[in-house]
Amino acid sequence: MRTYSRVHPSVREYEVFARKLRTEPLRQIGSVVAPDEDLARAYARATYDEERWIEMAIVPRDDLIWLWQPGEEGSSE
Amino acid sequence: MSLPDLVLSLADSKQMLGLRYAEWATRAPTLEADIAAAAMGLDELGHSRVLYGCLEPLGGNPRAGEGDASSYRAAAYLDQPWTSYAEFVAANAILDSAYTAVLQALAEGEVEVLQTRLRKMLQEERYHFLHGRSWRREGLDPEPEARAWREALEFFGPPGGDLDPAALRAALEEKVEAPAPALEIDWSKWDPLRRRTRPGAIDEATFAMLRGLEERRFMPAGAARQS
Repeated sequence: MRTYSRVHPSVREYEVFARKLRTEPLRQIGSVVAPDEDLARAYARATYDEERWIEMAIVPRDDLIWLWQPGEEGSSE
Repeated sequence: MSLPDLVLSLADSKQMLGLRYAEWATRAPTLEADIAAAAMGLDELGHSRVLYGCLEPLGGNPRAGEGDASSYRAAAYLDQPWTSYAEFVAANAILDSAYTAVLQALAEGEVEVLQTRLRKMLQEERYHFLHGRSWRREGLDPEPEARAWREALEFFGPPGGDLDPAALRAALEEKVEAPAPALEIDWSKWDPLRRRTRPGAIDEATFAMLRGLEERRFMPAGAARQS
């Protein structure tokens, strides 16, 4: 069975990371869907700038290298 | 043309641009584009507030009295609500970037109040630019873009005017990564206060909203009588 995805094959999903303090680690705060990096940056800023982040970064979800995921060998789940 | 005249036309233009962006907050092609339209609309309205606030230290607001819709100094491109997303994108990619080019010149100029207050605006505009640049690549209807170019060049003004139109045009072309289309502009029809050649004014509903008249319609009868 195919799992539902809002994301069309011609666009990419980008994970958004940010932090508020230099002393805290970057954490994932959400994601955006966009056809290219320009729009992904504009969308991330528009969607998540309500809070006072000192740093924000985006990463294409496809570029994340998973060592394991929930339910897989190595996962503590 | 005085500096307050120029700043007022930028403020009016950004207020109208913000309202037009916001009109697309539920009509853009994707959820993210809806959010971006809302966020850029809020940005532009914020920029106009800052620019109106600069008028006092620059010597006062040159617009006397209440004025009518035609005293509003925004581009003809912003007179009517847009009917297609291609118009949104052309305004975003060309017109918004044209205003940014003028803001950049003012921020790098010698007037201290503009040097300090325009900085945040220019940072936010980087994201408007990225948004416009990416959507331009989608190959939308080219007609609105030609119109946006015309109005951008009219905003820069004629040669020998208060701005350096050749430098601004070159800056805009470099930013948009495209040459301006070949256009004949009849400068004899150019209104130096509104920085446009076409007559006309913003639509009545938008002007009534700006003056608070649309809100009055929803006030309780008693509150309306007191005012």
